[in-house]
Amino acid sequence: MTSPNGNILRAGALLLRVLLGGIFIYAAWTKLHTPWEVFAISIDSYQILPLRAVELVARSLPWFELLVGILLLAGLWLRSAAVATSLLLGVFFGLMVRAFATGQQINCGCFGPGELISWKTLLRDGSLLAGSLALTWMAFVRRRRAA
Amino acid sequence: MRVCVFALAALWLSRAAAPGVDLSKALGTPSAPITVEVFSDFECPACKAFHENVLPELMRDYVIPGKVFLASFEFPLPMHQHSRQAANYAVAAARVGAYSPVADALFRGQESWSASGNVWGAVAAALTPAQQKRVQALATDAGVLAQVQSEIGVGQRVPITETPTILVIRGSRAIPIAGRLIRYELLKQLLDDLAKR
Repeated sequence: MTSPNGNILRAGALLLRVLLGGIFIYAAWTKLHTPWEVFAISIDSYQILPLRAVELVARSLPWFELLVGILLLAGLWLRSAAVATSLLLGVFFGLMVRAFATGQQINCGCFGPGELISWKTLLRDGSLLAGSLALTWMAFVRRRRAA
Repeated sequence: MRVCVFALAALWLSRAAAPGVDLSKALGTPSAPITVEVFSDFECPACKAFHENVLPELMRDYVIPGKVFLASFEFPLPMHQHSRQAANYAVAAARVGAYSPVADALFRGQESWSASGNVWGAVAAALTPAQQKRVQALATDAGVLAQVQSEIGVGQRVPITETPTILVIRGSRAIPIAGRLIRYELLKQLLDDLAKR
């Protein structure tokens, strides 16, 4: 028999997994269906990485996003996938806040080109980060309860 | 100035206009495998940086050798007080064959005329007295005003969300890229990769 709290936790985790997994797969697709240089130009506009690192990140990050998205949707290696999602979103959110606070009017690069960093993008990514942290917490709590 | 020299050197290469492109504002060979459309605003500092730092290299490496057809579109932003007037003058100048020198002059003197509002002063300095008379008359011509509006419409349909935006077109595929802070090495890499496909 499962407690009502356990059911709520499971349903919440499923909802967050589907939501975050779907968003990560979509984000990866928007980058992978355009040449890598387009994403590289978005990364480079943050002016934090040298050109070599920009190229490495632009070529590899979309594949990593795809992998994380698939793991979240499938519910495989959930704790690792949830931690990776929180770390990624934490880095993205931190960079966007920094760019916004310093008045840089640049593309966020989240879902391909054409989206300037604004309150709207910060609110969206902040919400995703909160959801991801909640999922990470649920993944660890569930494991502890099972043990 | 460098852009102006490259522009004059490349202008003779133009043969026929691609759909929606004003030939008098385009440079290079229309049959080039890649078309680059630049949507910019004369009062936008990032557009000035793109025009002065990236465009000369793009002209040298791709437009003059016939690898890229370069088309300019006016996209004056409502937040800029004088950019619409500057766009009208630039399109008028294109009709007397003086788009490139006027565009160069507008970007070069951007800080000055955007503060003073003396757009004409910057435009006139790039024209002969005969051209000045024609451009001043054309700048209020209904056809010129309609063209500026039409180019804004083209940008809105892309949709353009910021300036400068570069639309890189290869075959039926159009890739919008934010031109703000763009590093030429990355644009070059993209054009080289697209040319191989």
